[in-house]
Amino acid sequence: MNASITERQAALMGMGDSRLRKEDARFIQGKGNYVDDIKMPGMLHMAIVRSPFAHARIKGINKAKALAIPGVLAVLTADDLKPLKLHWMPTLAGDVQAVLADAKVHFQMQEVAVVIAEDRYIADDAVQAVEVEYEELPAVVDPHKALLPEAPVLREDLAGKSEGAHGKRYHPNHIFTWEAGDQAAADAALAKAEVKVEQKMFYPRVHPCPLETCGCVASFDPIRGELTTYMTSQAPHVVRTVVSMLSGIPESKVRIISPDIGGGFGNKVPIYPGYVCAIVASIVLGRPVKWVEDRIENISSTGFARDYHMSGELAATKDGKITGLKVNVIADHGAFDSCADPSKFPAGMFHICTGSYAIPSAYCRVDGVYTNKAPGGVAYRCSFRVTEAVYLIERMVDVLAQKLNLDKAEIRARNFIRKEQFPYKSALGFEYDSGDYHTALKKVLDAVDYKGLRAEQAAKRADPKSPTLMGIGLVSFTEVVGAGPSKICDILGVGMFDSCEIRVHPTGSAIARMGTISQGQGHQTTYAQIIATELGLPSEVIQVEEGDTSTAPYGLGTYGSRSTPVAGAAIAMASRKIHAKAKKIAAHLLEVSENDLDWEIDRFKVKGNDAKFKTMKDVAWAAYHQPPAGMEPGLEAVHYYDPPNFTFPFGIYLCVVDISKATGETAIRRFYALDDCGTRINPMIIEGQIHGGLTEGFAVAMGQLLSFDEQGNIQGNTLMDYFLPTMVETPRWETDHTVTPSPHHPIGAKGVAESPHVGSIPTFTSAVVDAFAHLGVTHMEMPHTSARVWKQLQASGVACE
Amino acid sequence: MQVKVEKQYPIATGVEQAWKILSDVPELAACMPGADLSEKVDDQHYKGNIKIKVGPVTAAFGGEIEILDLLVADKTIRLRGKGSDKGGSSASMDLTALLQAGEKPGECVLVGSADVIVNGKFAQFGGRMLNSVTDMVLDQFAQNFSAKAAALQPAASAGADTSRAAAPQMNTQLNALTIAWQLLKDFFANLFGRRKSGAAD
Repeated sequence: MNASITERQAALMGMGDSRLRKEDARFIQGKGNYVDDIKMPGMLHMAIVRSPFAHARIKGINKAKALAIPGVLAVLTADDLKPLKLHWMPTLAGDVQAVLADAKVHFQMQEVAVVIAEDRYIADDAVQAVEVEYEELPAVVDPHKALLPEAPVLREDLAGKSEGAHGKRYHPNHIFTWEAGDQAAADAALAKAEVKVEQKMFYPRVHPCPLETCGCVASFDPIRGELTTYMTSQAPHVVRTVVSMLSGIPESKVRIISPDIGGGFGNKVPIYPGYVCAIVASIVLGRPVKWVEDRIENISSTGFARDYHMSGELAATKDGKITGLKVNVIADHGAFDSCADPSKFPAGMFHICTGSYAIPSAYCRVDGVYTNKAPGGVAYRCSFRVTEAVYLIERMVDVLAQKLNLDKAEIRARNFIRKEQFPYKSALGFEYDSGDYHTALKKVLDAVDYKGLRAEQAAKRADPKSPTLMGIGLVSFTEVVGAGPSKICDILGVGMFDSCEIRVHPTGSAIARMGTISQGQGHQTTYAQIIATELGLPSEVIQVEEGDTSTAPYGLGTYGSRSTPVAGAAIAMASRKIHAKAKKIAAHLLEVSENDLDWEIDRFKVKGNDAKFKTMKDVAWAAYHQPPAGMEPGLEAVHYYDPPNFTFPFGIYLCVVDISKATGETAIRRFYALDDCGTRINPMIIEGQIHGGLTEGFAVAMGQLLSFDEQGNIQGNTLMDYFLPTMVETPRWETDHTVTPSPHHPIGAKGVAESPHVGSIPTFTSAVVDAFAHLGVTHMEMPHTSARVWKQLQASGVACE
Repeated sequence: MQVKVEKQYPIATGVEQAWKILSDVPELAACMPGADLSEKVDDQHYKGNIKIKVGPVTAAFGGEIEILDLLVADKTIRLRGKGSDKGGSSASMDLTALLQAGEKPGECVLVGSADVIVNGKFAQFGGRMLNSVTDMVLDQFAQNFSAKAAALQPAASAGADTSRAAAPQMNTQLNALTIAWQLLKDFFANLFGRRKSGAAD
């Protein structure tokens, strides 16, 4: 008996199906396999001696006491790495970074020496026994002060170099100047503007703080000359290339394995000194070496995010039509420029800062600066610097609306790029693929009864006895993700394509191997769904493998919402190659011409004859058993997908807050998130990703902050201080969607996991500021902690005694 | 990490008695919990050590004390202390201490102001506790100072220099448990103090 079309469709659990995550069975039973779960015979442990000072000269290192501890095998310093030329290493941003501090330390918690011992306890004890003598130097923590003529020179290793990786450096502490757009046109728009607004804002330094910290197990086999390293890396292939280049071991003998990863959020893209030292130690000692950082080390020394001092100017007509945008940014990159961006974009995709609006003229300039803080500048759950850009433009539009006394929703609707304008070329050089902002905005405003909310707010404002201030935040963001076209995007010269290799086995199951690596995204589940729909094989019999450079095709990894836009496309394209071959086989089996075949869900059928068909499963058997004469047996394909453009997911977020006039506490009454990520592969996983991203956005906007005192001491680098929301603090999320597929993507998908982070942060600020808008407040700096909000209540004279 | 401290402590002796301690650096150092002077370089310079434990961090600072001013007429001493610890902390302090006559005869007030800069591990992990810890260290110091000055009194009136033999009861170590207990006590005191005053309003 033949199953109905709907039943056959449902059996595949392909695209659009809220199929349960394949990963969860092992995670919820504690059967995941993370780096720290890996134990190898004879494995040693490494711990790091770190600088207590932000800026100091190293006058001497005494290893004697540490080496005297039983069980300590070695203590390595920069002097030990020098003969190997590994005391410094290149960064992804074209700078160099000290692997172990060479003569000087540049930030607190910088790596100064490593201890290798028989177990972790001995290693940690020996770290305390390494005596380092320092001569303290004045520290610079404010990037504005770093650019003063009298500022101390931080990077003595770059002395006299007036040319950096991205052009001229005008000060010893200056890294680069990066510009986009037409400055003259933006200036002209501002000069003749009917209305102008200007706003300075600081996007503070935060840390992605994944639950699993960074670490690796390096194992060099001296007999075979092979190096295998398990590593918490979001980009294992790139790591393999770099390790091969640094060590001289042929890439074919370097194997990097990213096993299960407990969250990345950009923090696991860079290559850290700890990885390099563990690899060197394993090569030197001929035994496996494990290094896993603790929480304080993770927050203090590995990739931070943001730290952008931004100022924006908008030019507009009296009725609120934006005519020009000008943006200046001082970007604090810390001690080394180890920002993880595509090579040609030192400020990432910050030039998406014209947002969802048709702004005819725009100019932005970003100046990167060295300070005595940890290096980084990673894309914390966002495509490179898109969070900063979206924050800037959404804040500016709010400020303009306030100046013109226009409603936030109205000013956005007046400036949106209209549906028929896509593909839209922005003034800063992007070509937006597709969008329908007006429809999405209307859907949100209707869903929350926006007019009703505004009326309630007006009533509360009129009532001096109201115990709370009510604020409504609204954001209409557009992201640029899926980096990217290799003609403009590369990492260390490798184009930012991604890859997929699919093998269909004789009995109709399949394996797909990918160049990306999931850190919680659910690739094993969603990738299989794409293949299921493309090839008509049930997703249950499709295995997805990632993260092992010895088995997977070369790919650039998972960050910047690039997995679905790039690797997802590679899957579809590889599937289509298989599909094309399968069709030939089916035609041969059915003894008809290919043109006489129709594809239907899971089978090729002869046109007009439903009874005459061959399923993909039949075809797979035939491919190994009786392929047509002259055809290679087997059914497999590889595809390297170089995207023609980025994708541009968007969303409309609305937030209602009630702020206690007595305590400054901000209660999130409602958060409504409408996302448009194009074609939806697994609605349940999308929902989960949106919940996660909103929660991290809530964390950043309401509490996360890495602060430093004037001497460069990091303050609050433990989870006692650094805000990581749990279920207790997290608000309830409401989600919604529209679907505007990407026209250039094989399945129309745009990527989604970062949208909720990017979009929600300015929404919270918009809501908190809105609560004070009637009191003349146009901007408040994040994080919006109760203490800060309470100060604003005092300053605005509305605090309740 | 920078902390400014301005403090006043009542001392149970007259100004002249107290000045004997305040102007005598070894005696003064002996009032400091956890501190000991190891070497007198000259009249203005001394070397010494101080041990402190805050939360997870123990530090043994070795450093120097320099007397910047000793104004007998004003009963004022200004000194600078600088030190570092092998575990990776450093600290410096500019201290001005002076004695004023008390409300009653036979009492005086020790007025101190200090700029303390702490760097390294101490500042990183102890940052949140630094103010409370500084307060406690100085409170203990003032108690010791007062006890020492008081112990000096009978000896002084007897006209014999036996003051050092009459060792008063002193806190000589800054102990982590004491600090934790004190912090907890202060926390509750604040909590209930605030509630009470709130209820009274």
